[in-house]
Amino acid sequence: MKFTVNWLKKYVDFDLSAGALADRLTMLGLEVDAVQSLYPGLEHIKVARIVSVEKHPNADKLSLCDVMVGEEQKRIVCGAPNVRAGMLAPIALPGCQMPSGLLIKKSKIRGETSEGMLCSGAELGIVSDSAGLMDLPESCHCGASLTAALDLADTMIEVDITPNRADCTSLLGIAREVGGVTGNPIKPPVETPPILPATSSNFSVEILAPDACPRYAARLLKNVKIGPSPWWLKRLLLAVGLRPINNVVDITNFVMLEYGQPLHAFDFAKIGEGRIVVRKAQPAETISTLDGTERTLTDEMLLICDAKKAIAIAGVMGGENSEVTAQTTEVLLESAYFAPTSIRRTSRALKLSTDASYRFERGIDPQGTLLALERAAKLIVECCGAEFVDDGVDCNHGIAEPALIHLRASQTCKRLGTSLTIEEIASLLARIGITAARLDADTLQVTVPSFRIDLEREIDLIEEVARLKGYNEIHPTLPAVPMSLSCQEPSFILRRKVANIMVALGVFEAINYSFNAARYSSMLGLAADDPLREQITIVNPLADDQGVMRTMLLPGLLENIRHNLNRQTNDISLFEIGKVFWPHTGHELPREAIRLGAVFSGRPGIGSPMLHYGDRAFDIYDLKGVAEVLLSQLGIKGAQFCKADSAPSYADQDEWLTVTLPTGQLGSFGKLAQSTLKEFGIKQAVYSMDFDLDLLTTLAIDKPLFTPLSKFPSVSWDLAVLVPEETGAGTILQAIMAKNFPLVDHVEIFDVYRGQNISAGMKSVALSITYHSDEKTLDDKVVGHVHEQVVELICTLFKGQLREV
Amino acid sequence: MEDELLSLKGQALACLGNAQDNDSLEACRVQYLGRKGLFSTVMRNLGKTSEEDRPRLGKLANEIKLALEQAFADKQNGFTASNNASKNKASQDLTLPGRAIPFGKHHPVSQVMTEICSVFERLGFTVAEGPDIELDFYNFEGLNIPAHHPARDMHDTFYISSNILLRTHTSPMQVRTMEKQPPPLRMIVPGKVYRCDSDITHTPMFHQVEGFLVDDNVSFADLKGVLSIFIAQIFSAKTAIRFRPSFFPFTEPSAEVDIACVICNGKGCRVCKQTGWLEILGAGLIDPEVFKKVGYDPEQYSGFAFGLGVERIAMLKYGITDIRLFYENDIRFLRQF
Repeated sequence: MKFTVNWLKKYVDFDLSAGALADRLTMLGLEVDAVQSLYPGLEHIKVARIVSVEKHPNADKLSLCDVMVGEEQKRIVCGAPNVRAGMLAPIALPGCQMPSGLLIKKSKIRGETSEGMLCSGAELGIVSDSAGLMDLPESCHCGASLTAALDLADTMIEVDITPNRADCTSLLGIAREVGGVTGNPIKPPVETPPILPATSSNFSVEILAPDACPRYAARLLKNVKIGPSPWWLKRLLLAVGLRPINNVVDITNFVMLEYGQPLHAFDFAKIGEGRIVVRKAQPAETISTLDGTERTLTDEMLLICDAKKAIAIAGVMGGENSEVTAQTTEVLLESAYFAPTSIRRTSRALKLSTDASYRFERGIDPQGTLLALERAAKLIVECCGAEFVDDGVDCNHGIAEPALIHLRASQTCKRLGTSLTIEEIASLLARIGITAARLDADTLQVTVPSFRIDLEREIDLIEEVARLKGYNEIHPTLPAVPMSLSCQEPSFILRRKVANIMVALGVFEAINYSFNAARYSSMLGLAADDPLREQITIVNPLADDQGVMRTMLLPGLLENIRHNLNRQTNDISLFEIGKVFWPHTGHELPREAIRLGAVFSGRPGIGSPMLHYGDRAFDIYDLKGVAEVLLSQLGIKGAQFCKADSAPSYADQDEWLTVTLPTGQLGSFGKLAQSTLKEFGIKQAVYSMDFDLDLLTTLAIDKPLFTPLSKFPSVSWDLAVLVPEETGAGTILQAIMAKNFPLVDHVEIFDVYRGQNISAGMKSVALSITYHSDEKTLDDKVVGHVHEQVVELICTLFKGQLREV
Repeated sequence: MEDELLSLKGQALACLGNAQDNDSLEACRVQYLGRKGLFSTVMRNLGKTSEEDRPRLGKLANEIKLALEQAFADKQNGFTASNNASKNKASQDLTLPGRAIPFGKHHPVSQVMTEICSVFERLGFTVAEGPDIELDFYNFEGLNIPAHHPARDMHDTFYISSNILLRTHTSPMQVRTMEKQPPPLRMIVPGKVYRCDSDITHTPMFHQVEGFLVDDNVSFADLKGVLSIFIAQIFSAKTAIRFRPSFFPFTEPSAEVDIACVICNGKGCRVCKQTGWLEILGAGLIDPEVFKKVGYDPEQYSGFAFGLGVERIAMLKYGITDIRLFYENDIRFLRQF
């Protein structure tokens, strides 16, 4: 809602600067979005009288004008088509700066001297269309500053009106709030509504849908002279961003801004049989609205019709077929109350929001119908030379009576946590026109004014009291609630823990949108029947690539890799902990699962200097290390890392591992397939990882058990065995550990060697076995005994052969 | 015996003088002062000397031994010092940059969300989460936002079907919790929320923390007290705060909470639109209609609720100017926080 400070002063007295006014309004709950001085920099523009106009000798479209600026005569070259002798127009003299920044200088245009520039309204920033020179009204003084002549010095304020404050979509509503601060009463142009009959001999009103339209009033005016509005009216409309159209339309807009009551003017000559019928539309009925669009209606929508045809979509927009034009002489002025829900549905369905629908759907003052009608009718008489035909019609099917609410002082103080007397409460409410009668020592009976449709309950009034008193007058306290232990969801704790581990491992946390592109399924090569393709679709996505809820974290992370590579960050490690979504048959809501995803590409250690680390890139052992640390830190033991029999479509078939427990698969990781990376436009190897965090939550152990530290030294014995190439070196480790040999503490592979001195098809695996006892220091004999058994196991199990070292 | 000791001292000092490196020095030390060295051999004869000579000889022997030990130590220190000096010159360039030990970072949104939650956890609030995909009832109806209410315009909603949507705030957990549990309640609900909006200050997904407290006698002053503590913890105890009236269908009275602009300290700048204030969260007393929907008696119970945008707070804390940066996951961005 926009208004100007000077405009507001017509309705309430106040002595506040624009800034102070804005601050007070904001603190009353009318948040000020903008405070803007209107037409800055026009002080030096003057009013000029054009004395004579002749053709420029050297240019077809230019004129030479003699103009008077006060007593001074100037010669001006002008290109405007509407320039004519005798008119008043704004002039910028040399030295003057235009709003565009252009500095006006005395100059020669095609050989003729020009001592300034005659201006259009657009050049001055007053109107948006630039048809030619701004034709100033005769009331302007030649030589006066334009700012003074047009009363331009003013400040526009824009307030953000919350949906509950329908009453503040009007100047009078805002004036009332200002009165709440200053204590001054408001000065409405029309104070008491006229009493109108229900019928007229000149036209008729018939309401067929009283639920959607409980009240419809109208007045008929004749001898209306359609023309431009007087400057004062144009100025106010322009100041709040409305385009002046003609005097009648401008008046309906002006009164709507004044009272908050949308009005509509029909050309009475175009209303068949002088009949107004308010009814619901027929299914698929059409109407061409004032914006030149043909609209197809549904039977939910309310129409204003004449004897035969629809002439307006009630409360939203008028029809072209009954529009007021330059030829109009008789105007039927409508002021009605339409039910908010009906207008809102129509406006939504038609995707057509207007100043009128905005007000109707919030709920206008049901008692304001006749006040606004009277005000507009009087202005049309005043500005358009019109006369009343009769008293008009007020067809009223019943408007709710003002509500009575009991307000307890004790409850007010209790809810606000402050102390106020019943007198203070009553006097605060009185400031904004709410009357309260005292019922007993603690209770006020409050009569809610018709314009405050948002006040229905005691708590609503308590808010009014707090608002008028000032929220900042209430002193903060702390709640006295019983002590209790706050709980934490295990899943929440686990996620924090996993994130901490990943961060400690040098991985950066990413957050991606929960929705992504449906095409990712194909880019990842998922099979047609892959459950990951069962995506939940968003009906109204903002963009195609945000159309479905994600079933995997990987695509988002791959997009992140591409983003980073495109910005020359080549070493990337990212993880994300987030939800994925699937349809859940038999349940109201979809299934939401939490997963950990991670991607690694480039060199480990972001930005590691080559000097220290060389150019080694991430490989599968980095991921295996991450997975091992993650599981061990979560206290999960016994997970098997197995090469997947069939890796996912997006994975490199030779480098993909699954992580399993007897209870199920915890996750998987490995290298991504070249084809997948190509789809995502990534040109360097990427490794990815995925874990089921819901499953990890059920398995994680948060209290590790202490193992006593040994007092005795351990000894390490090395050995190297030749085994067939296809034997996994890791399986040798697993086999040794699985055997639970006494004294064997751990085994490490420190070399795998092929080549010289090793026969083809074989490789040498060098192991270091650490022996240890909790009871004694080991001697060679004891260790040797176990070591022999280990060697024997390897040789028999893996067809190995001890190598001389 | 005395001569023997003095001659041994002379020999030992000569040997020490000839030692060119640590190894020959150590060999020399072992030869004379070792457990089986020459000095020990001489000392073994101390017992055989006369009782009157013994104390004098013992004292002398001890003095000689201490002197020799000192001499060896000095010589050894000399070796070590010169050794280090020459080595440094040759191979240790301390001006080289340090080895980049891999480090990761929590996403700034996660960091701020954790920080927010921890303030409330310290005040005894329980952390809970709800579904991202929510029923219309919990997101709107249960929070006193009926269909066709203009307040729905404040929430540009993504729909999955006519009654299933992506939650537009984490407030649905208010209703879900109150349906299941009687007061007293103290709860904080962090999570992702969704609105069809995208520009420099809006992303279609963002993070919110909703909090609420319900008991017998909770007042608007209590709401102010709790939020003042929160803001002092997240920003600073000196940060000025103001509460101003606003509207949310699920609170009455409703308030917006502003803090003095952290960029210009309240003087007025582009970020605060010259007002000196920044909107930081929305709050209010829980509307009696919400209580009625979950079967709480609004005469008996009262409570407050508040909701805040995590990105907005992160942007203000860190001076981030474009909200979309949070979701690009550019490492150059992530490593800054």
